[in-house]
Amino acid sequence: MSSLSATVQEVLNEPGCAKNANKTQEQRKKGCIKQLQPGGVAGGCAFDGAKIALQPFTDVAHLVHGPIACEGNSWDNRGSASSGSNLWRTGFTTDMSETDIVFGGEKRLYKAIKQIVEKYCPEAVFVYQTCVPAMIGDDINAVCKAAARRFGRPVIPINSPGFVGSKNLGTKLAGEALLEHVIGTQEPACTTPYDINLIGEYNLSGELWQVKPLFDELGIRILSTISGDGKYRDIASSHRARAAMMVCSKAMINVARKMEQRYGIPFFEGSFYGIQDSSNSLRKIARLLVEQGAPDDLIERTDAVVAREEERAWAAIEPYRFRFRGKKVLLITGGVKSWSVVAALQEAGLEVVGTSVKKSTKEDKERIKELMGHDTHMIEDMPPREMYKMLKNAKADIMLSGGKSQFVALKAAMPWLDINQERCHAYMGYVGMVKLIEEIDKALFNPIWQQLRRPAPWDDVADDQQGKAGAKVGTQTTGFTADPIVAARIRRAKKICLCKAVDLGTIEDTIRSHGLTSLDAVRHQTSASSGCGDCKSRIEDILAAMLVSSPSALLQVAE
Amino acid sequence: MVQNAEHVLDHFELFRGPEYQQMLANKKKMFENPRETAEVERVREWTKTPEYREKNFAREALTINPAKACQPLGAVFASVGFEGTLPFVHGSQGCVAYYRSHLSRHFKEPTSCVSSSMTEDAAVFGGLNNMIDGLANSYNMYKPKMIAVSTTCMAEVIGDDLNAFIKTSKEKGSVPAEFDVPFAHTPAFVGSHITGYDNTLRGVLEYFWDGKAGATPKLERKPNEKINFIGGFDGYTVGNIREIKRIFDLIGIGYTILADNSDVFDTPTDGEFRMYDGGTTLEDAANAVHAKATISMQQWCTEKTLSFIEGHGHEVVAFNHPVGVSATDEVLMTLLRITGKEIPEELSRERGRLVDAMADSSAHIHGKKFAIYGDPDLCYGLAAFLLELGAEPTHVLSTNGNKAWGEKVEALLASSPFGKSCHVYPGRDLWHMRSLLFTEPVDFLIGNTYGKYLERDTGTPLIRIGFPVFDRHHHHRYPVWGYQGGMNVLVKILDKIFDEMDKRTNVVGKTDYSFDIIR
Repeated sequence: MSSLSATVQEVLNEPGCAKNANKTQEQRKKGCIKQLQPGGVAGGCAFDGAKIALQPFTDVAHLVHGPIACEGNSWDNRGSASSGSNLWRTGFTTDMSETDIVFGGEKRLYKAIKQIVEKYCPEAVFVYQTCVPAMIGDDINAVCKAAARRFGRPVIPINSPGFVGSKNLGTKLAGEALLEHVIGTQEPACTTPYDINLIGEYNLSGELWQVKPLFDELGIRILSTISGDGKYRDIASSHRARAAMMVCSKAMINVARKMEQRYGIPFFEGSFYGIQDSSNSLRKIARLLVEQGAPDDLIERTDAVVAREEERAWAAIEPYRFRFRGKKVLLITGGVKSWSVVAALQEAGLEVVGTSVKKSTKEDKERIKELMGHDTHMIEDMPPREMYKMLKNAKADIMLSGGKSQFVALKAAMPWLDINQERCHAYMGYVGMVKLIEEIDKALFNPIWQQLRRPAPWDDVADDQQGKAGAKVGTQTTGFTADPIVAARIRRAKKICLCKAVDLGTIEDTIRSHGLTSLDAVRHQTSASSGCGDCKSRIEDILAAMLVSSPSALLQVAE
Repeated sequence: MVQNAEHVLDHFELFRGPEYQQMLANKKKMFENPRETAEVERVREWTKTPEYREKNFAREALTINPAKACQPLGAVFASVGFEGTLPFVHGSQGCVAYYRSHLSRHFKEPTSCVSSSMTEDAAVFGGLNNMIDGLANSYNMYKPKMIAVSTTCMAEVIGDDLNAFIKTSKEKGSVPAEFDVPFAHTPAFVGSHITGYDNTLRGVLEYFWDGKAGATPKLERKPNEKINFIGGFDGYTVGNIREIKRIFDLIGIGYTILADNSDVFDTPTDGEFRMYDGGTTLEDAANAVHAKATISMQQWCTEKTLSFIEGHGHEVVAFNHPVGVSATDEVLMTLLRITGKEIPEELSRERGRLVDAMADSSAHIHGKKFAIYGDPDLCYGLAAFLLELGAEPTHVLSTNGNKAWGEKVEALLASSPFGKSCHVYPGRDLWHMRSLLFTEPVDFLIGNTYGKYLERDTGTPLIRIGFPVFDRHHHHRYPVWGYQGGMNVLVKILDKIFDEMDKRTNVVGKTDYSFDIIR
């Protein structure tokens, strides 16, 4: 296990990550993983992260070594699309039983690999470690090594048992496995100066195929995708690409950075969500390729394609401006970068009243401010109860979010559109954004939402459901209460630093009375941010807001 | 031969065998003067064109594939809803056999019903003797508490007078003088099964309320707080009436279900044959005159009945086969208004659950186009539900819907942006529907079992809602009324949508990139 813990340490200290680079030595040691709070609602584990990151490799047999829990609950839960093999959808597990746990599961694992190879003849077998075999000491690395030698085909250990940490960490560990065992093990049949890798792109609902025609038109070849519609051969020979794009996700940054280090493949972080982002990404790819020796005219050709596509997309969105006038939208996104979607929504005439910045960098936030003005709700991490209350009162007409928030939205009678991974529609690229606008239109004008907001006809108007629910929530927390004194008290009671339990009111008062201007000063005076450091950005925001001394901005930060 | 005693093939397999195939091919070639395949194909394609549609809609005399049945079917359906009642159809026995099989094939239950079995001489000299003998035999053989008489065309054409015939029969001792024999004239050449339901129910009520055909004084209305409930001709009567009873009980309303056939069409298998089961007691039927109000779930099934009831001094309210949230709200609000009761928490929660379910799935139904056909009220109720879901009821067709119905549906369609490009077709048949489906295709078709031909012909997936449903079992046990009923209809529609989604994405290596587990 020592090597696993070393790997975990290593990926947590990722030099490519801007957030990480800003941390102190001590903070870095802690890693970017938020400590799980026992008793709190938690997301997926490291195994889940590794599995969902690699599952979209289509011609690979994904074998989960563990009791039925791990594969039983995750079998075929990924909405990626495959243009070829369907092997990836088949659920393989060693389905460990009590005897295996007493006597060890290595032999069973070896036999399972053997049977997969004999029956399915896959390009490769990925073996996923889970908690139980990791705890009893099954050495999957050794089993995989032996099996690979015996069966003459790649058998890759994915060492990311659930207990090592979060989903995000699992994704990184999956990346490490690719780096260690797969990338660079084969050579492509041919190479071109136009070869690129897409890292962290999962082809959900086949959305990559909406962008691929543009690559094809420009003559840019996607040498490999990690991992949407991915083929084992492609990823094994991906080290020959000229440039790489890290799509919308910091989770695989270790792969991008190490490939740059080892093979000299420069990368950039980009996205195909939103019109502007699509254009930027295409241009950046062209520029990187030209820098790497591709003919100069690529840039010009890219500009032409970009101009044409933008024009088409804006024209398609234009008719919605009238229908969307005065409609307000709340954007809660995970992987999708907030501001790039914001621009498109605004272009369609929607007013964006709030956006999540949970996964956004400081630059992203700046950009959002620029686009939306200072009085925008920038929502950090939000517990469902807060979200419910916000939706109830936010005067938004629709919420765009991942499936996680779906039920919160519905129960709060808020029209909702899924823009994360389990959605049914592909929103990538120029056409994808038009599709998104179409879907917003459908959701906004679906009669069910009126029905949802209307109280049952027998409920008295004065005591309608909205009122009841609003009252219930209002007594619990903040911000939207009618009584200004109560509202202020609730607002001020908001915990900014969780480690040292320092609330907003204390920080504001201290800044005001001592005339503080820096984070260090605040830390010194209030001991806020002397723990995990997570609240650093929040305190910076408070400082910034107080500097401009605009009460409304301050309020926004608090909310 | 392909068939042999060791391994008997059923009709699915047997006639696919080479011997049969050869035989059928030879027969066609040698004796049937077959047309060129290409010519057949050309005509087939032509029947899908707008040009053909125009000719089809100009059709005057011929009805092709009618979506309606005849009056006595409705008469039998209503009659069996009364306690111990034997439906007695005066006319030819063949018709009656149809009603029995029709109802039995839908409900998977025996249907007890007799005929006066008129023959040629009866047709010439009148059916009085058949009535006299018929009533006597039925009374003695089947021991009913009441015999409800209706008629087929044959008796109507020669003008048999039921009132006089029944009186004469009683005088001749067929049945005791005080034995209840209500009647209704139900000729098939007027209206449809919903008219027959209407006439029969009216006939029964008139009999009890207005002095049993002159035998007793008319009842004097002494108003009470009860509500009468009429379901109308309804293929979901078993589930619906039970659901309605539950709702009334929850709210705490005293009620009388008129023509309650929910038990007789769903008798338990426990070793006892029940020729009659449940039903509105004759006493209740008589006392229904005292009720505060009468609710009809199907306006076009109860026009005459309601105007008769209204004439006896209490309020009547008619709905159009209400399905969904708003429609059910309307029913409940009417009940509250009339009774002054309150809606219990249980129903509020059921409402919330239906709203929740609709919201969860709305994206999949939104903007989908539907064609609906069936009885006028059912069509109206389903169209309203689809509009509520944000779907488009593109074609709404009812063979037994009249002009007034058409106007009412038009008004409904005009009330929603989703009804903008939708049209209503009163008095049209399923061959018209075929043209509509070819020239203005929709995503789904809602109709009864006969819709399966349209489904096969036009490729429009059929959602089976209506009467009769012969080729799927037990749907009649699940309500379509009330919030829970709305849920059933929603699930039925969604199931088909997802089935189609799977069907369209299940070709291995071609379309199955979207053959997803999570929808």
